[in-house]
Amino acid sequence: MSDPRPRIAVVTFPGSNDDRDAVLALERLGADAHAVWYAEHDLPSDTAAVVLPGGFSYGDYLRCGAIARFAPVMQAVARFAQHGGLVLGICNGFQVLCEAGLLPGAFRPNASLEFVCRDVELRLQRSDTPFTTRAEPGQALTIPIKHGEGCYFADDELLAGLERDGQVVLRYDRNPNGSVGSIAGVCNEHGNVFGMMPHPEHAVDPLVGSGSTDGALILGSLVDSARARLLTAA
Amino acid sequence: VGRVIDLELEGADGETARAELERACDQLLANPLIESYEIALDA
Repeated sequence: MSDPRPRIAVVTFPGSNDDRDAVLALERLGADAHAVWYAEHDLPSDTAAVVLPGGFSYGDYLRCGAIARFAPVMQAVARFAQHGGLVLGICNGFQVLCEAGLLPGAFRPNASLEFVCRDVELRLQRSDTPFTTRAEPGQALTIPIKHGEGCYFADDELLAGLERDGQVVLRYDRNPNGSVGSIAGVCNEHGNVFGMMPHPEHAVDPLVGSGSTDGALILGSLVDSARARLLTAA
Repeated sequence: VGRVIDLELEGADGETARAELERACDQLLANPLIESYEIALDA
């Protein structure tokens, strides 16, 4: 019997533009990926994980992610997360999770005040999260970023708490945007919600971009974890 | 000042308007982690 394909919901907000790449990448890595429209009030039955993709939801008006957090589907995503469901936010999805209060912190414009679009070197801080099991702690990953407001901010007290509790999962080797602590990705205190600014869905095919497939380590870990939950539930 | 937002509210007295605006600022218009806000009312 082949491994079951866990159902992973990928939300499309008005202005999302990496949703289809996320679906393709997850399908290739063994998931049953479903695009879910932002106006839905429920996630598909048997959803084992949720991905909030990159893009410019609601045109990024006001602040990135500030309007998307009020989209109908976000109430279902919040319930899913509060019950321990796996949620990954990529770039704009990370910003939405912060605005929704499902992840700590906030985003400001890049310190350079310019949009940055290029591969970055990342350093994995933890491999014991559901999103990083396929990699090793300290492993270097090459994954592209493309954002204008990726400067992660947490005040001194919040940052100290994140560091103390091991919630910093990914750091930039060379800080591209002014993020405090060179933070590229954080998880919530329970570890079931994770946000990252780099785009793993753009680094799964050696023929695309610089040829790095390190994004598959992240998304593949998510598929593995979602499948494990499926089997446990069964 | 990073942003100025002009809003017209109909039929609200000053106290109600201020309460509504504070709620709007806290939940949407400002992110208290990185922004502060001031409300000025004109009748």
